[in-house]
Amino acid sequence: MTERRTVLIRYDEIGLKGRNRKFFEKCLLRNIKRVLSGTDDIDYRSPRGRIFLDIPSSFAPECTARLKTVPGIASFSIGISMAPDFDAISVLGIQWIEPRLESSGNSLKFCVKTRRSEKSFPKTSPEVNFEVGSRIMKQLSSRGLTVNIKEAEYVLEIEIGSSETVVFDNREPGLRGLPVGSSGNVLCLLSGGIDSPVSAFMMACRGCRVHFVFFDNQPFLGRGGYDKVLSLAKKINHFQARGILFVVPFQDIQGAIRDRCNEENRVVLYRRMMYRIAGEIAGRYSFMALVTGESLGQVASQTLENLAAVSCVTSLSVFQPLIGMNKESIISRAKEIGTYEVSIVPQPDCCSVFMPKNPVTRSKIPFLERDEEKIPWKELCDDALAKMEIIKVDDL
Amino acid sequence: MIYLDNAATTPMDEDVVGRVHESMRDIFANSGTRYRIGLDAKRLIEKSTESIAEYLGIPSTHRILFTSGGTESNNLFIKGLCFPDKKTAFLGLEHPSITESLAFLQQFGNEPFSLLPLQKKGRLDFNSIPILKEKRVKLLCLSHVNNELGTVNDPLQVISALAKESPNTKLFLDGVQAIGKLKLDGDMWKGLAGYSISGHKIHGPKGIGLLIYDSKLVLNPQMHGGKQQFGVRSGTLPLPLIVGLEIAIKHAVARTEQTQKHLQGLCRHLIEGLKKMQERFPELRIRFNPLVDEDETRQFSGMVNFSFPPVEGEVILHHLEAKDIFVGLGSACSAQSREPSKILMGIGLSEEQARCSLRISFSRNNTTDEIDQFLEAFGEAYQALYPTFLQKAEHR
Repeated sequence: MTERRTVLIRYDEIGLKGRNRKFFEKCLLRNIKRVLSGTDDIDYRSPRGRIFLDIPSSFAPECTARLKTVPGIASFSIGISMAPDFDAISVLGIQWIEPRLESSGNSLKFCVKTRRSEKSFPKTSPEVNFEVGSRIMKQLSSRGLTVNIKEAEYVLEIEIGSSETVVFDNREPGLRGLPVGSSGNVLCLLSGGIDSPVSAFMMACRGCRVHFVFFDNQPFLGRGGYDKVLSLAKKINHFQARGILFVVPFQDIQGAIRDRCNEENRVVLYRRMMYRIAGEIAGRYSFMALVTGESLGQVASQTLENLAAVSCVTSLSVFQPLIGMNKESIISRAKEIGTYEVSIVPQPDCCSVFMPKNPVTRSKIPFLERDEEKIPWKELCDDALAKMEIIKVDDL
Repeated sequence: MIYLDNAATTPMDEDVVGRVHESMRDIFANSGTRYRIGLDAKRLIEKSTESIAEYLGIPSTHRILFTSGGTESNNLFIKGLCFPDKKTAFLGLEHPSITESLAFLQQFGNEPFSLLPLQKKGRLDFNSIPILKEKRVKLLCLSHVNNELGTVNDPLQVISALAKESPNTKLFLDGVQAIGKLKLDGDMWKGLAGYSISGHKIHGPKGIGLLIYDSKLVLNPQMHGGKQQFGVRSGTLPLPLIVGLEIAIKHAVARTEQTQKHLQGLCRHLIEGLKKMQERFPELRIRFNPLVDEDETRQFSGMVNFSFPPVEGEVILHHLEAKDIFVGLGSACSAQSREPSKILMGIGLSEEQARCSLRISFSRNNTTDEIDQFLEAFGEAYQALYPTFLQKAEHR
């Protein structure tokens, strides 16, 4: 028989969700099953406050990597399920500690930590710690093992639940947040730069299913930007599944603004059009908010005035999860989620001919509206929407 | 489709495809084994090697190594010969596989001597040769045909100048852009320390190239393994690619004269067409990089590089792409940067001139009709984009 391991999954804020808790737990379990699909030999159990998986031990490294892509998991441990028998637990502990003791030159500080959700269990947690710890010390103290609760280098953990007891010695951090699907659908304006994929990821970690809209500048920039956004959408979708990418041809709109409107207003006007189109798509698909990668003051279009002048064209909520973050933190987040390498491939998100020399930093809405009167913006938007390409990201 | 970027790569000849396919299917044995089918494979490779030597007139003083292509050939020869401290020189306008190999040696204190300040319009200035003697340069690395400019360093002329003025300096030529398009004089080999060739630039397969070098030289292997190919380049020989390369070289050499004439015709047709276009659109001011020169010991007619500020080369490229016409950028951005490459700037162009340029490179498959279609599409795109770019340039 294949050796089995038990994965103990702890979740985060779901614990706070009073009566909706069941719904959140279901979402999380569904998402976990999705990332582990393709492997039949897994049993799922979800007693109160935890999710347990029973997996073949050979699947443990792959399982760890996949669980790290599921929002809503606070942390998880891979261990062994057994009867709450102190002798048997101690034998297992000794078996695990011995190689560590050897590799650390026969000097290791350790402790036992017990969590007891089954309160009818006859011993308290400190008593279990003592029972197991003393048995292990009896065997290994002569070989350099010492007990040190505050500075333990090795922690043997025991979780005693109503249905099972799990022993483990590892804790992998999860993405935390809420399970995707628990908060509804949003639409993220994805540019191909570093920021917007990070903001999409952050919303996925707040339980949203994120869909994407890309404003395409072919033939000015070629298909490079399009391909780049495809691969970014794929990377983000990895954390959630079932995302949709909308590719909107933007060149005619940009051309009209460039040719007929005040040059300094161009960037803000482009963005107002993008928000209008995104708002229209969101309406058609019942997405509940827009998401962008703006960070206050990062570039000329991201001043308070310009942000306000852009977001006022839509009645939807506009979320900017990066608004208070600096560039370094955004970059390090992008590296963690694997979008950075794609984002830095040289490919401008707007052709230099469309950029003004001195973009306005404090735009005035009446001036922008006067500029917009010079172009048939409604028709241009309708035309772009009619030519829009719709891609299921799962199929990429 | 009109393909005018043959310096980047060329479509494979039908009979090359057939031969590669056939040998992939029928002759799978490892040429290093001792049983019959392995010996058959070995014999085929030997035959191909002999044929290649015959087609190219390579004397028995020189060794032929199969590599993965031009980049590997250049790396193997330069690092294999000059590490750690053999003094090298280069023009500073070569392909990155030469300049970066030299930069690698520089890390070990072996700084290459750059002739960039002394070059003339992208070619070696023979007056600079005595400096090589003064600097005790052991190896001069040059492109036979420059990959962005089409400028030629004629092997026989360089060899005779070196023999007179700096007899201890050996010559290495990157022949990737030259073979099959310029006639190779069999006499050149005795003055050449090394020469590199790539399969895919001559309608052959990708992933195969040659390093031809003077067998008296000792090259330190850059890849260690089963000691194939005199122990200099380990790795099982890719028989299907080798037999494919043999056919590509056979065609290339047999048709050199015919190809050369054909390319000259195309080149004249394009240059005349561009000049006429200037008469029609007074705003179009073309600069050929370097100047038009019909002497094939100085300028290769298969490549025309020209600038047309203020319209950016990349934007024109994508507009042509929309009409199924594929051309090269005059100054290709390197993979990691959007700055124009150093080659055009190296011969004295401004950054704007470098950005606003295209590289058209022909193969024997192109026709004057295709050039006419290119000219028409280029003219249309230029006229459509000119006002926009003019506006942008005026802001500067």
